[in-house]
Amino acid sequence: MLDTEATLEIAELVAEFKPGNADLIPALHKVQHRYGYVPREAMGVVAKQLRLGEAQVYGAVTFYSELRVIPPPQTRIDWCSGPACRLKGGENVRLALESVLEIGMEENTAGDKVGLHLAQCNGTCDFAPQIWVDGKVVGPLTAADTITLARELKEKN
Amino acid sequence: MAKLTIDGREIEAPDGAPLVEVIKENGIYVPNLCYIDGLPPYAGCRTCLVEIEGARGGLQLSCTSTVRDEMVVRTDTAEVKQARQYVLSLIDANHSDRCLTCHRRVKCMPGDVCLRDDVVTHRCLTCSKNYRCELQTTNDLLDMGVDNVEPWEGEDRTYYQWEQPEPDRANPFLEFDPQMCIICTRCVRACDDLRHTGAITLAGRGFSTRIAFGAGGPIDESNCDFCGSCIDVCPTATLMEKPNKWLARTEDWVSTTCTSCSVGCTISVGTRGGKPVIVKPDTINPFSDDQICVRGRFHYDAIKPKERLSKHLVREGDTLQPSPLDAALDIVADRLAGIREQHGAASIAFLGSPFATNEENYLVRKLAGVVGTPNIDFTVGPVNQAAAHAAQAAFGVDRLPADLTDIPTKAKTILVVADDLEETHNVAALRIKDAIDPRKLPAREPARLIVISSRRGELCDFAEPYGGVWLQAEAGQEAAVVSALAKRIVGDENVAASAKSAGLDVDALAAGPDTVTGIENSTLDNAAAILSEAAADAGQTIAVVVAPKSVGVALAAETTKAAANVALLLRGASAASSFYLLPTEANINGARDMGVVPGEGGLNFIGIVEAASAGDMKALVVAGDNPLMFAPGRAKVEEALGRLDLLVVIDQVLTDTAKMAHVVLADVPAISKDGTITSADRRVLRLKAAQAAQGEAQPAWATLSQLGQRLTSRLGGGESFSYEEASEITEEITKSVPGYDRFHFHGYLGWGKGRAVEDGLSGTIALQPVGEPASTPPSNGDVALLTGRTLFTSLEAASIHSPEADKLHREDAVLVNQYDAVELGISAGDGVVLKNGSAELSLKAALTNTVPRGSVFLSSYYDGGVVNTLLPSENGSTAPARVTIAKQS
Repeated sequence: MLDTEATLEIAELVAEFKPGNADLIPALHKVQHRYGYVPREAMGVVAKQLRLGEAQVYGAVTFYSELRVIPPPQTRIDWCSGPACRLKGGENVRLALESVLEIGMEENTAGDKVGLHLAQCNGTCDFAPQIWVDGKVVGPLTAADTITLARELKEKN
Repeated sequence: MAKLTIDGREIEAPDGAPLVEVIKENGIYVPNLCYIDGLPPYAGCRTCLVEIEGARGGLQLSCTSTVRDEMVVRTDTAEVKQARQYVLSLIDANHSDRCLTCHRRVKCMPGDVCLRDDVVTHRCLTCSKNYRCELQTTNDLLDMGVDNVEPWEGEDRTYYQWEQPEPDRANPFLEFDPQMCIICTRCVRACDDLRHTGAITLAGRGFSTRIAFGAGGPIDESNCDFCGSCIDVCPTATLMEKPNKWLARTEDWVSTTCTSCSVGCTISVGTRGGKPVIVKPDTINPFSDDQICVRGRFHYDAIKPKERLSKHLVREGDTLQPSPLDAALDIVADRLAGIREQHGAASIAFLGSPFATNEENYLVRKLAGVVGTPNIDFTVGPVNQAAAHAAQAAFGVDRLPADLTDIPTKAKTILVVADDLEETHNVAALRIKDAIDPRKLPAREPARLIVISSRRGELCDFAEPYGGVWLQAEAGQEAAVVSALAKRIVGDENVAASAKSAGLDVDALAAGPDTVTGIENSTLDNAAAILSEAAADAGQTIAVVVAPKSVGVALAAETTKAAANVALLLRGASAASSFYLLPTEANINGARDMGVVPGEGGLNFIGIVEAASAGDMKALVVAGDNPLMFAPGRAKVEEALGRLDLLVVIDQVLTDTAKMAHVVLADVPAISKDGTITSADRRVLRLKAAQAAQGEAQPAWATLSQLGQRLTSRLGGGESFSYEEASEITEEITKSVPGYDRFHFHGYLGWGKGRAVEDGLSGTIALQPVGEPASTPPSNGDVALLTGRTLFTSLEAASIHSPEADKLHREDAVLVNQYDAVELGISAGDGVVLKNGSAELSLKAALTNTVPRGSVFLSSYYDGGVVNTLLPSENGSTAPARVTIAKQS
């Protein structure tokens, strides 16, 4: 792996961590804290610092849903996958979001404007089926509402 | 040893051995889809269930159970079978193919619609691993179809319910189709524990768990080096060899030896329709054991059959024209006899080859004897002889007794003096990693590693993190670094005293340097401390491994001497058992043992070129060698070869040297030959023909013996050259070559274990004074040109300048240090010009940080060894050549 400005910066960021896999998660947290996600080249740098294989780092990053491999979007939509939302037609909301935004779960639209994220029930089932736009609960939603909302978000950005 | 009963049979096995291995070794079937022999159990697939009498909690996994005395094991009860079937049905449920369990499979043709209304083309008939798949066999042997145990009972799908992951077919060697994967994780563990590469991982979690390479991208962007170890262990079609994958339902397996480097890995070549279609490791050589590298596995079809010679050629004017063999041989014999009569035997020279078998090299020697010339060598002979003489002077023996299998099993301290050993001797580097980071059972104490190299290779990462040291020598200063180490060790009173008592004159080391430019004194001290510790512990096994570069006679000699000194200081009279000299090419040791070295008063390769250039050498017979590819100073060699009256080349492809020849006799590739070769630690290994000769081509030994018959009839001499088979020559070698008396081609049972060595304890040992290395200050911004054998480039393809010689295109560029590149204004992929005097070479640049600043690296095989045009013809300097590098305008 060649040194670039980006890799040197990350190398400095994780220079404090000791070889071995004990420091792997702290190192990844630090990277995500700084950049909002774990960039691909960071996996190589962290691997080099901890003397692990790049693949081992990738395995850890993909295991924990808290660690992201894509940058955080400007507007984040969390789709609730809880049972109440599903019973009340959450699947349709998801399909509407995916088809209007033309992305799948855990993906961002071009330029990282809007991102879709699969979320777990937060207990506000009164509003089912619901989504959270930048953390704010929006619901109950019909498929039609969702399409309107998604189009607005897509055009706004 | 414990006595246990398996299915009513009394069996003896070592106490504590993994039960699953014992069951398998005794010929009893036990399904195991995640177990890898020799590694700790993973217990992921759960199919290896057995009943153990007295065990609590029902059926037991045989992989996690260990053998105890008086154990009673049953593998054949109805309960065991049913449990295995249910477990397997869960695995099958997530495998893409329903037809695994169909007993009518053999009757189906692609496109048929069968009684179950499944379209056959979607099923295993379209899987490249059909009929050689471990998962399929497991289903068959557990009667999954017969007993109708299916996870999809009542389901009516004939297609996948969700989108399947995309396969990765972007590289030329390895195909990765994740939809076939059953997440057994064998590949992950093979890559981690058998190869120490760690290119494969389990990504994701739960149902979305999958196998991924590197940081989740394409395989060729990860650190995978395409050894194919994961292919060997994959129980499905997830990981497959890309070449010939649809053809590799083999009809026959032939056990032979890889000739890509001097490790001598034994391989099994699978053939179909008389053609090799697949290569697997063969465990005959205990050092390579279950591993080979990308060269052994994939280079068998590096070039197309039509690119090999299938006709013998004779020069007519400016062109080479096909000729019958007899006519061509008559021309050679007549002209050799004529030249001998006119100019004397000394005007004729023979070149054997490190790529040819012992039998062929033996015949070259014998032919030279008939002609009466002592001028016999091969292109890299002078370098090899210099290193071998240095070792001989130090240890008093020629055929060193050190056994490479000691490294992975016993060695505790390892000193490696080599640039990038995993590229030149991949499996040797792997076994060193095995010693540093032991993962296999039985467990052993890890060793410590000291690496001395100028380029950063994988082994460097196995030094410091594991308590060793990497000393980055400046190019050409390797000997100086080793000498500085030796001087520090001998400063230890105990070491000096024991060296003196072994009869060594330690004053010979006094002239060594105290410091070396570019290396901190404390780093040298650390390395010396590790070696002194090893010296103090006489019971410890040590290994000093030297792999001299293939260019630079003086460099090879000085490096070998310096390393031999360290071995002598550490182990005195028994040092020869710890010293490993790894020649670059496959059969260099064999060629040397067969007598392909200059005879009394004879010229070596450098002398032969000089003589040819001066017009004194009239005829040269080249058997499998390629001077224009391997000799530094190509312009001079080319001019010398052009002045010969007769140049005869025996080769399997039309090399640059063959293009200049008057007569070219078509040889066959090593995979089509019978014979023997001698590996780095002088294991004598057998080659067996896996493929028939093509066209009129015939093995070089046959050509040489026919030439021998003609020469004896013209020149006289009592030697017989009538051989029907290569094995008859092997038989003659057993009678006449010292150390080879056991190796009968037929009837010898110890192949792979037998070594043609001397005991090495009887020799006179002596420390060798190491010459002052030439220092080459940079001038006008020039850079040192480093070269060496690289991992991916194929010899055959390179020698015909095939643009696909390195199919990954990693090595067909000059590697420039990335920081130098910024100063020089070079970016990756730019065209650059390398210049040394009037010699010029234009090629692409690639950026790297494995090459030290102030140097560039170019593979010695790139474009038929074109790097040699930039190297001065052999001048005895230890310093690398210096060239200027500039961006192409």
